[in-house]
Amino acid sequence: MYVRDLKTDFYDRIQQQRLLILVSLDVDSLCACKILQSLFQCDQVLHTIIPVTGKQSLERAYLENSEGVKFVLLLNCGATFDIIETLRPDDGVVFFICDNHLPVHLNSIFNQVQVQILGKEDDTENLPEFTDLFRDSDDEEDEEEVRRPVFNRTHHITLQDDSGDDSDSSQPKRKKFDEKSLMKKRDKRLWEQKRRELVFQYEEFSKYGTSVAFVMYELAWKMSKDTNDLLWLAIVGITEQYVNGKVERDRYMEGLQFLQGHVSRLNHWSEDEENTLSVDCLRISFETELRLCLFRHWSLFESLCHSQYTACKFKVWTLKGKKRLHEFLAEMGLPLVQCKQKYSSMEVHLRDSIKEMMTKFIEKYGIHEHDLFLPSFLASYGYKNRFCASDVVRVCATLLESMEKDVTPSDSFFRALDVLNRKCTSVMEVGLEQAKLQQKAIVTQVQSFLDMNQIISAGPFLYALVQEGTPDGKYFSNPLCLVRLARFTLEAYCAMSKNKRVRNLPLVIGASLDSDLGVMLVAGIPPISDSKCINCFGKAFEQAASSTNSRVNQDSFDSHVMELKTEDRSKFFDALISLLH
Amino acid sequence: MSLPSDSTPSKAFCNKESYFDIDDILATQERVPVVFQVPALNLGYLDSSSETNNIEAGAAMELPFWMAKALSTRGKHMVSVDLPNSYKESQREILGAEAGVVNLHKWGPYFYKFGMCLLCFEHPESTDIAKSLLQTLQNRFRGIMDSAQNASYEEIASVTKKLDVLEMSIFRVGQKSIESQLQWEKRQIEKLTVSKVIVNHRKRKRIHIENDQ
Amino acid sequence: MFGLKAIELIKEAKRSQEGTLPPYNEEGIRKVLEEMRALFEQNQAEVNEALEGDQDLFVGIQIRHVALEQNKRCILAYLNHRLETIKQLRWELGSVLPQDVKQNLTTPEAQWFSKYSKGLAKYMRSLGNQGGVDLTLDVRPPKTLHIQVRCLEDHGEFETQDGNIILLKKNSQHFLLRSECEHLIRQGILEHIIT
Repeated sequence: MYVRDLKTDFYDRIQQQRLLILVSLDVDSLCACKILQSLFQCDQVLHTIIPVTGKQSLERAYLENSEGVKFVLLLNCGATFDIIETLRPDDGVVFFICDNHLPVHLNSIFNQVQVQILGKEDDTENLPEFTDLFRDSDDEEDEEEVRRPVFNRTHHITLQDDSGDDSDSSQPKRKKFDEKSLMKKRDKRLWEQKRRELVFQYEEFSKYGTSVAFVMYELAWKMSKDTNDLLWLAIVGITEQYVNGKVERDRYMEGLQFLQGHVSRLNHWSEDEENTLSVDCLRISFETELRLCLFRHWSLFESLCHSQYTACKFKVWTLKGKKRLHEFLAEMGLPLVQCKQKYSSMEVHLRDSIKEMMTKFIEKYGIHEHDLFLPSFLASYGYKNRFCASDVVRVCATLLESMEKDVTPSDSFFRALDVLNRKCTSVMEVGLEQAKLQQKAIVTQVQSFLDMNQIISAGPFLYALVQEGTPDGKYFSNPLCLVRLARFTLEAYCAMSKNKRVRNLPLVIGASLDSDLGVMLVAGIPPISDSKCINCFGKAFEQAASSTNSRVNQDSFDSHVMELKTEDRSKFFDALISLLH
Repeated sequence: MSLPSDSTPSKAFCNKESYFDIDDILATQERVPVVFQVPALNLGYLDSSSETNNIEAGAAMELPFWMAKALSTRGKHMVSVDLPNSYKESQREILGAEAGVVNLHKWGPYFYKFGMCLLCFEHPESTDIAKSLLQTLQNRFRGIMDSAQNASYEEIASVTKKLDVLEMSIFRVGQKSIESQLQWEKRQIEKLTVSKVIVNHRKRKRIHIENDQ
Repeated sequence: MFGLKAIELIKEAKRSQEGTLPPYNEEGIRKVLEEMRALFEQNQAEVNEALEGDQDLFVGIQIRHVALEQNKRCILAYLNHRLETIKQLRWELGSVLPQDVKQNLTTPEAQWFSKYSKGLAKYMRSLGNQGGVDLTLDVRPPKTLHIQVRCLEDHGEFETQDGNIILLKKNSQHFLLRSECEHLIRQGILEHIIT
């Protein structure tokens, strides 16, 4: 059930109890977690935070920590499957689910007691009516023994299609050829068929809803506990959704506009000359940001070569593309020496005019202002710390999937949580370097895909496999990084291909996860032309796997990412092709 | 958490230091040159130059301070005590010229403390030694404080290897205070930390494990 | 020279970093005691001779006597140093010492520790109106009642004052009553997180 008022129905309820918070490993949920932490610190709400990597890890974490816990909060996990069925909690336990994964499982939506969903109800589309899903007892008064899908002991609705069998077994008790009963049976069959269709329609595509950091910030704001720091976290949250292609631009702009109001409200007095803020305070400013990754902490040239949009537009992996990039820089009057040194050491007048010059010249190179620039925010504090939201996202995501030895995912979780704490500048520096390495690895991999013609059209979709033994291959055994690679690859391929049709093709990408166990990680992303950010691969993977008995593990909260036994790859892909035709 | 360390019954020993004071024991272990005025029987093995079973009168050797003191003060004159090299006039002149550059650690790790102990022999130069000690510390103090405040930016070892034990403790205090100030500025001062005992203990254990491997 | 073995013990005590307790150096102590016995026996013999008239022996006797005194001082200082360290352990780590610290205590030292611990506990109980005051807590003035802590190692279940049971497992973060976790922080099981 959707919670109507976050404050009264969620925040006020959990005050007196220790809360268990299970957080998935992504940037948005980290931000939400930090916002909550700061609220809970104000109100002294006792809580325990456990990072979870997937469904299995969620179950384990719940089992281990559920003792005496009455309230559980799930951040960016738990909405897409039947949480009550999976965890089998005691009656009194209430789950608050704040998850941007859609669609939300129907049982969770209609469970009035044990599942409370924190989020925007309007995010859900094609939501079937209650009566279409669950039949009321009145309809079947005379079918005494039929076990209807009703609220069971835990007020939980079972969705299993077992009513058909039940009516068979109850038949002997009734008069045969009873017309009324036959009619009823037919009715029921039709109803069931309709229900299946509705459920399928509802669950067919996976997508993302409102950022959970945004939801939590709204809560803080409603309680007048919002600060600049919390606002920044909300900004990072919505930025993450956009830069990782989880939401479309319009949705991002909506959120941005809302937050911009808050930014001006909370930052106006930094301009006041009489009451100047200390330099250590966080200041947020609206900025039309260049979509060049990490350029403030890199060199302009490197950043141009490693950013998805510019790299693909210039086709920097070709000789001609490199030349065009040089030409572009020359035309703008930026000396190469300046571009190749650290951005922070570039001459100030050049630095200040970059944006202006770029706007002037990009058109000639087929670059759209709309794509190169992104309205965003910049955080600054102290004398030298200036970070744009998308760079923080990148650093945070990189730290979440740290490649260092002996670092477990939950170690990484807390490292990434620290990086959002702006006092931890040392972690930030480490993160920036790692983020650059990761970005370089992605570009190298894209180039080798293109050079070796490893992006193959399978008909209804494209696919590419990271060859085992690739030096940087280990990066791509992490889901976030693999999806980033997939998006980069698809855009690069579309830029290189003369065939316009490829813009309408989705991409499936695979990389080895554990060569000893023979397991690979597979991810599917929607086509470039898709502007709605809906992903059909979750259901497709599930069906392809079950029809071929492939051994897969759909453990991830993102249904379009899964593990597959390498041996089963070809039969799985064959099934996927025929399925999507 | 620091506890009052002087809770033990103190017994006047040298300059009223505690009987149990580790630093005092180490400082009074430093050696002074002496000349035996009377023979000491059956102790010839202590004097490597002696060919008999005894230390002969007139034998020159170095004794730990605590022994020299027992043999020469309080009206006993079994040995006559000379000044150790570091406290002789020529050395005092060096200190007077430019105290800051001297490696006092080499001159004796307990330069000041031992120097003060020496005063009990009532040597004719005692007054000069006392003055010189005070002057030396005054001259060097500024440099020590300065490096303590900025040591995080400098090579600490190159500074500290020149310091005597007393100076070293001043240096540490200086460093600690600047560290606390920085922590306070970053609001880290309220952070509860792991006990030093555990930290050091783990360090030691790790070294052991590494050695075992 | 006399007293060199004893000074080794003192150097060892000096070397041990603040608050750590190295294993008791039984071998070192034994050697010092041996030296002392030899000095004492020879002095006793010579004192008897001297009393019979041989005045020249007094210098040697004097030397050996101060050497005995010095050795005694070193051994006592060594033991005292350890005792002070053990006292500090009680304040830093609480009444239950971690196993690896405990094994460096000799039996009499362990007995002394538990007596000291009991004495301190009794004193703390007697403070205030009810229940007493735990003097080992809040060595730094607390800013908040509750704090964020991150678990650094698997510690197992932990019962809070209100009867809740919390699993302290590596890489979980909790928001707990400050007074409850202060000792665990000092023992390095939890890390205090400041946001």
